[in-house]
Amino acid sequence: MKPIRLEVLPLLLGAVLGAAAAPALAHFLVVYTPQTAIQRATDLPFHLIFTHAFHGGPSMAMEKPQRFYYAKRSAPGEEIEQVDLSQYLEPIDWAGENGPVSAWKATVPRNVVRSLGDYQVVVEPTPYLEETEQLYIQQFAKVMVNVGGVPGNWSETLGLPAEIHALNKTYANWTGGIFRGVVLGNGVPMPYTQVEVEYLNHALDTDNNRFAAQGAITAPHPSLEAMVILTDANGQFSFALPRAGWWGFAALSVGPAKEYNGKPLSQDAILWVQATDLPESP
Amino acid sequence: MKKSCTLAAVLLLTTGQPLFAHTPLFDCFDNGDSTLTCEGGFSDGASATGVGVRMLDAQGKVLEQGKLDAKGSITLKRPAGEFSVVFDAGAEHSLTVLGDDIS
Repeated sequence: MKPIRLEVLPLLLGAVLGAAAAPALAHFLVVYTPQTAIQRATDLPFHLIFTHAFHGGPSMAMEKPQRFYYAKRSAPGEEIEQVDLSQYLEPIDWAGENGPVSAWKATVPRNVVRSLGDYQVVVEPTPYLEETEQLYIQQFAKVMVNVGGVPGNWSETLGLPAEIHALNKTYANWTGGIFRGVVLGNGVPMPYTQVEVEYLNHALDTDNNRFAAQGAITAPHPSLEAMVILTDANGQFSFALPRAGWWGFAALSVGPAKEYNGKPLSQDAILWVQATDLPESP
Repeated sequence: MKKSCTLAAVLLLTTGQPLFAHTPLFDCFDNGDSTLTCEGGFSDGASATGVGVRMLDAQGKVLEQGKLDAKGSITLKRPAGEFSVVFDAGAEHSLTVLGDDIS
């Protein structure tokens, strides 16, 4: 192994300091709907909460998203259509450690999501200022819903500044199965990039706008709470889903914009994946 | 090897379908204006364009029929009384939705 040259040290130090200025781990924009594989069209409830997924908090105040929509291709060969859902957003107070924080809910009516196929639901949030780090965070979050089992545009990217390209259907994963994705920054695969993986460990009590106090699992070590994996040389990652429920994947600071309101900006990509236990035969 | 290729060719010729899972999927919605829209597709993403759809009364009489369009969709008039709608993509690929289940 070659010794590190002295003139390289300041560069390395700069890189470390740069990394230290990156957003704190474990922030997740939760985009929650109870079931993503829907047999027949129904009203779809959503909750949008900016929080720490594994611990069910602390949660952060969330301004109204800049955009909330779905992208759907009605049939092979048809153009992808984007349908604005922002009219269904309602502000809510979500229980936080130091009192309620602003979050959002929406009930998307059945007639808007009645067609068979895939709905890529996207939240493009207003950047959030992380006061302690004087850093803005903007997490482009996707969750997919399928109605009726007809596949659609689940594998297609939407051209978001920061995006995780799903290589498996996010709504069709058995517990223990492997989920794969590619991290994209401005549409370009990001090699050797960190991906945080967290389990949505505290059930959402949507009647009372809070997370359940008790988590479903207890991690024996911090590294198993906010897990960090790396993409490969092609920007691809894979992860075996060990438990039914919701798994969040976050690639931090992969978007092209690096500044907002005169402060550093981290444009992150979020993708939510639902794992389902193998059901026993009746 | 030669035998399995021949078998595959025979299956393709007899079914006209690729040899992977290909489950038909179909549903209808009431548009609230005395019409229904029905949509069909397949679990592998294959297009259902051109698949025949029939609306039947309780006695099996055809009330209306047509084919799914490029979006896999067809709009039919909602009749009074009991009825059903059949998605007919051939043997083992037929599905029926009862009128009472269409809202």
